[in-house]
Amino acid sequence: MKKAIHLGVFLAVVSAIAGGALSYVNGITSPIIEENKLAVEKESLLVMYPEATADDFEIVDGVSTDTITKVYKYNDFYIFNLVVSGYKEGTTFLVSIDSNTEVIDKYQPLSNGDTKGIGSKVMDEPFKTSLEGKVASEQLDTISGATVSSTPVVKGINEACEVMKGLK
Amino acid sequence: MNRWQNFKAGLIKDNPVFSLYLGICSTLAITTTVNNAIGMGAAVIMVLIMSNVIISCIRKITPDEIRIPVYIVIIASLVTIIQMLIEAFAPALNESLGVFIPLIVVNCIILGRAEAFASKNGVLDSAIDGLGMGLGYTLAVVVMSFIRELLATGGCTITNPFNTAQVLLSFSIIPEQYTISLFSSSVGAFVTFSVLAAIVAHMKNKEADRIALEEKEAKKKEMEAKKQAAMEAKKGANVA
Repeated sequence: MKKAIHLGVFLAVVSAIAGGALSYVNGITSPIIEENKLAVEKESLLVMYPEATADDFEIVDGVSTDTITKVYKYNDFYIFNLVVSGYKEGTTFLVSIDSNTEVIDKYQPLSNGDTKGIGSKVMDEPFKTSLEGKVASEQLDTISGATVSSTPVVKGINEACEVMKGLK
Repeated sequence: MNRWQNFKAGLIKDNPVFSLYLGICSTLAITTTVNNAIGMGAAVIMVLIMSNVIISCIRKITPDEIRIPVYIVIIASLVTIIQMLIEAFAPALNESLGVFIPLIVVNCIILGRAEAFASKNGVLDSAIDGLGMGLGYTLAVVVMSFIRELLATGGCTITNPFNTAQVLLSFSIIPEQYTISLFSSSVGAFVTFSVLAAIVAHMKNKEADRIALEEKEAKKKEMEAKKQAAMEAKKGANVA
């Protein structure tokens, strides 16, 4: 019994020290990681709208769902940052929708969690051009052969359009 | 074993990848570019040295029954810390290495050295062992990735991990039509690995043969000397 307590306490102390060290490093690195992510996102926003400056994108507060992580407003466009899951989690993209016509103005993939090749087709140019110019609330084309990866993207855009209607 | 030999062993003779066959999973996966290999090697060196040092420090107070869970907690925490630091300060490297940074936890080299060396030796020796083994791993992945990148893309590009826009070294020597894209896939990884492992095995065999031959000759000389001594003793007895 005494031995078991000794072993338990030893393991608990080691885990507590490890937890403390992790929390300390996390405290230092997490703001930097957040800043990096924001910088990457701003860069992608500027790729979508090269004529704008980083300050032109206003963050719209109060919108947070499982899929939509952030919303920006630029002129008449609402730009949604979405996270969806295909086979795996971690497909993120930006989509800008015209608030007057509900037309998808730009689609910008950021990262893809699925298998390279078929799963990563949602990152490619043909999918991008197939989306841009379409009305976001209507039926959008998925990629045949990569429906598991592309359907959540299309559903995410439909959801973003619904949310945008509430924002106007 | 003196310290220099201890350090040197991990580089070629006991190279963790090509000689001990440890940590092959990550080796096959991340050796697509030299950039990845250097980043991964640096991360493994850091984790190995720190885990060896910590485990060596607490080796006398760690109860034998729970030593493996204790090692795992230490190694997992160190890897997570390294991952957070890489994500914060070298995000591009984090993206290209992806899941293989957290997978350092299950890299057999780390736990293998903790169990085989750090838990039985002093702090300085353990740190040297960690550095030697870490450099051995780095050497292995860099050589492998250099061959793969060269054959698959025709050249090699090394960028600053903290600023990917800054190219440190870039050259191209094989024209595009002669490159073999197979080497960027897992098949290429296995082929490169097996060839390099065979070379290291050949070197080890040669050395073993040399040592065996030397031993044989020494034995032969000893036998001859004994024979001569016996003959001389016989001669002496006859004269008397």
